[in-house]
Amino acid sequence: MPTTMTWKEMQQAFPNEWLRVVHYELDAVGQLARGEVLYHSSSKEEVYSKPLSGQSEAFWFTGESTFSGLRSHATHHGV
Amino acid sequence: MPHITAFDAQKHHVHLTPTVIDGDGVAHVFRAILDTGAPGSEFSDRFLQTIHLFNPAKQHAVTIPDGLQTQKHGTTTLPRLECLGQALEHLTVYVSRFDESWGIDALIGLDFFRKFRVTIDYAAGQIVTEPYGRQ
Repeated sequence: MPTTMTWKEMQQAFPNEWLRVVHYELDAVGQLARGEVLYHSSSKEEVYSKPLSGQSEAFWFTGESTFSGLRSHATHHGV
Repeated sequence: MPHITAFDAQKHHVHLTPTVIDGDGVAHVFRAILDTGAPGSEFSDRFLQTIHLFNPAKQHAVTIPDGLQTQKHGTTTLPRLECLGQALEHLTVYVSRFDESWGIDALIGLDFFRKFRVTIDYAAGQIVTEPYGRQ
């Protein structure tokens, strides 16, 4: 049975992993604050292929986003 | 009444935490980035598949072209999207294949934001949204 973890605990336990979290709470800037981790894996496919729990879920990644903007990415590739 | 949402102004982009309400009325919260250069919002096909708002069996194989990190390959209609204290029902969005390293499931574009008066206050780290027609 999942136990409640803080965001910091999730980051430490599951670095650069995808999570699905139930009974979650968000902080003032919309960051996951705490919750119960239902599924976790470095593979997004593995986590997202699990069936829905029927409860409200948070879909989260514990790493930093590499999104740099589509225009800048295209520039790097000479597009 | 304006709705004020705090955001982390230290990040390179404005990260949002929208919620999609699926066809069964269940809320799913996820990470997204505000993309003011996109006329339409794009959602991760894998996320939409998980919450039963996209059926990949009806799609042909999708690959991301070299040099890009996303590939639109369809559209779907969200029963309800809540973002920054506002909500839109029956919003049609692009279904896209996202680069996983982005760590997000949507780019929220102007189709959402043109429905509201939006003020981004970087100094205060706040986004203020208010439906049009209110003083």
